Amino acid sequence: MFAAEKLITVPFDVYRYDPARGGEPRYQHYELQLAPHTPVLTGLLRIRDELDPTLTLRYSCRSAICGSCAMLVNSKSRLVCRTPVGPEVAEHGRIVVDPMRNQPVVRDLVVDQTPFWDRYEQMEPHLIPDPQRPMPEGRTTLMTPAQVDRFKDTPRCIACAACYSACPAVEADPEFPGPMALAKLYRFVVDPRDGGHQARLRKIQTSGLWLCLRCHLCTEACPKEVRPSERIRDLKELAVRAQGGTEPGSRHAIGFLKNIEEGGTLNEMKLVRQTSGLIGTAKAAGQGIRLVRKKPEMLKRPKTIEGIDEVRKLYRALEKDEEVPL
Amino acid sequence: MKFAYYPGCVAKESGKELDLATRWVSARVGIELVEFPNFSCCGSGFLDEANGLLNVALNARNLAIAEKAGLDLLTVCSTCQGMLTFANRRLENAAVRAKVDGALQPLGISYSGKTRVTHLLQVLTDQVGADRIRGMVRRPLTGLKVGAFYGCHLLRPADEMHSESAEEPHSFEDLISALGATPVLYRGRVMCCGFPILFVKEPTANRIAGHQIHDAKAHGADAMATPCPLCHISLDSFQNKASTAVGEKLDMPIFHLPQLVGLALGATPEDLGLPRHLVSTDAALQKLGRVAVPA
Repeated sequence: MFAAEKLITVPFDVYRYDPARGGEPRYQHYELQLAPHTPVLTGLLRIRDELDPTLTLRYSCRSAICGSCAMLVNSKSRLVCRTPVGPEVAEHGRIVVDPMRNQPVVRDLVVDQTPFWDRYEQMEPHLIPDPQRPMPEGRTTLMTPAQVDRFKDTPRCIACAACYSACPAVEADPEFPGPMALAKLYRFVVDPRDGGHQARLRKIQTSGLWLCLRCHLCTEACPKEVRPSERIRDLKELAVRAQGGTEPGSRHAIGFLKNIEEGGTLNEMKLVRQTSGLIGTAKAAGQGIRLVRKKPEMLKRPKTIEGIDEVRKLYRALEKDEEVPL
Repeated sequence: MKFAYYPGCVAKESGKELDLATRWVSARVGIELVEFPNFSCCGSGFLDEANGLLNVALNARNLAIAEKAGLDLLTVCSTCQGMLTFANRRLENAAVRAKVDGALQPLGISYSGKTRVTHLLQVLTDQVGADRIRGMVRRPLTGLKVGAFYGCHLLRPADEMHSESAEEPHSFEDLISALGATPVLYRGRVMCCGFPILFVKEPTANRIAGHQIHDAKAHGADAMATPCPLCHISLDSFQNKASTAVGEKLDMPIFHLPQLVGLALGATPEDLGLPRHLVSTDAALQKLGRVAVPA
């Protein structure tokens, strides 16, 4: 027989806000007796059904498939349907539930996802026909297993927006499309049936790709292990290889490549010139002078490392190779 | 404790004070640093974006240098820590491994994958131990409220970094407590400093840095400390611009991790290169009674 778990007292502090009624957001305290394995979502539904019918939240499948119930549990991005209360209470003594970040709150735990979906649509998330290779009429186009592997884990995405909520670039700059949109874009860029690869890469290079901070907060937040930050890295390499240094971001990456080939180590001043050009460097001169006054060795050319020949031979051996999926 | 010391590019150039402080602290806590003049740059995440495979190969060469000497690698930069650890991880992929081996072999270099990459923060908290450090403190940092700023690549992706909890880390705070200071908890401590896009879109990078400094300040921090010299550039060297970006005079002293340790172990500000900072650390030192309050 399965032994029933002992119930524990679970203190909830739930974010409440109703713009229609005005007033400031606040936290409301509730307590329930729950088994430790009970999902936070079940707790919230019991609050709504038994204690407070005005509590508003979004959910659907209760099985981590629909992506509706992403929220912050003790400040961490979680699908509440699969986050048990026990460990949270053990670690924090209570469960603080907040709505996701980077999206306006509609009411309580429900956010307006319009900006998230708008950015997704901007990626044209559908196959663009290749005029050179028309799809066979009336029959399925098959892909090889190796081609499908190229998608990595991007098809697992359930569009819960946990990554979007966690992303500091989304928070700081409306130009950045967000991790989910870029992971989706990657999926089409590597799709052999898609005819829009180059146009997609050109477009994204000037509309936010290089604003990714590679902080990996999205990869940490993702409940489905899609690893958006790593796919954004892949997109950047594909863009650099196909289109070279057209933007400050790709010029910086190529500047690094050249810098290390030259001396094995970073030449900070030279890199600024390579990325920003003469005009950009001149604009940055004021800040440069402030820095050099405190850190004069920045003006000196760094010493070339011993064994630079080995480094250069590795360049010769690998620079012509096609991109290898990492 | 003996390590192959991988200072990284910034600690040898604009962040020289980090190298100074690392050497000062290592000598006192029993860490022997072995230097290798043939280490190349870790790629800093940027080279990875231009040619990921080449970046793995260059770091495999770095890791092989340490392996040949029978030493684990010690980093003092969250980004070096991240890139070198990524290389180890990516070499577990057979296709990547075959390509990299194929390029290293003609140079007479082989790397079996044994070199462990460890950051100074981890060595201080796990190997030296926060308790032993507490015992070595000569001038406790009593009364100083310090916000730890971890730097992304020390923590994430957590499954690759094999680190402590990426969402709720505590090693840095444990160390700050051991030094006699009071750790300040704030959301920004595990966030990004903005550095990776400083040369792509500076105002956005400045705004991100400003958010994190503001957050630490709003939670009562007198100073922040970071184990990453790139975070230091963003938070200290460009703090004037971060202040403008968030419309607030931030005036936040930013310590490199070993500088904070050194202060508690009895180093002078000069030993640790504190005068090289763009934001004066005097306010924090005054709080500790270490410099005269100007009349």
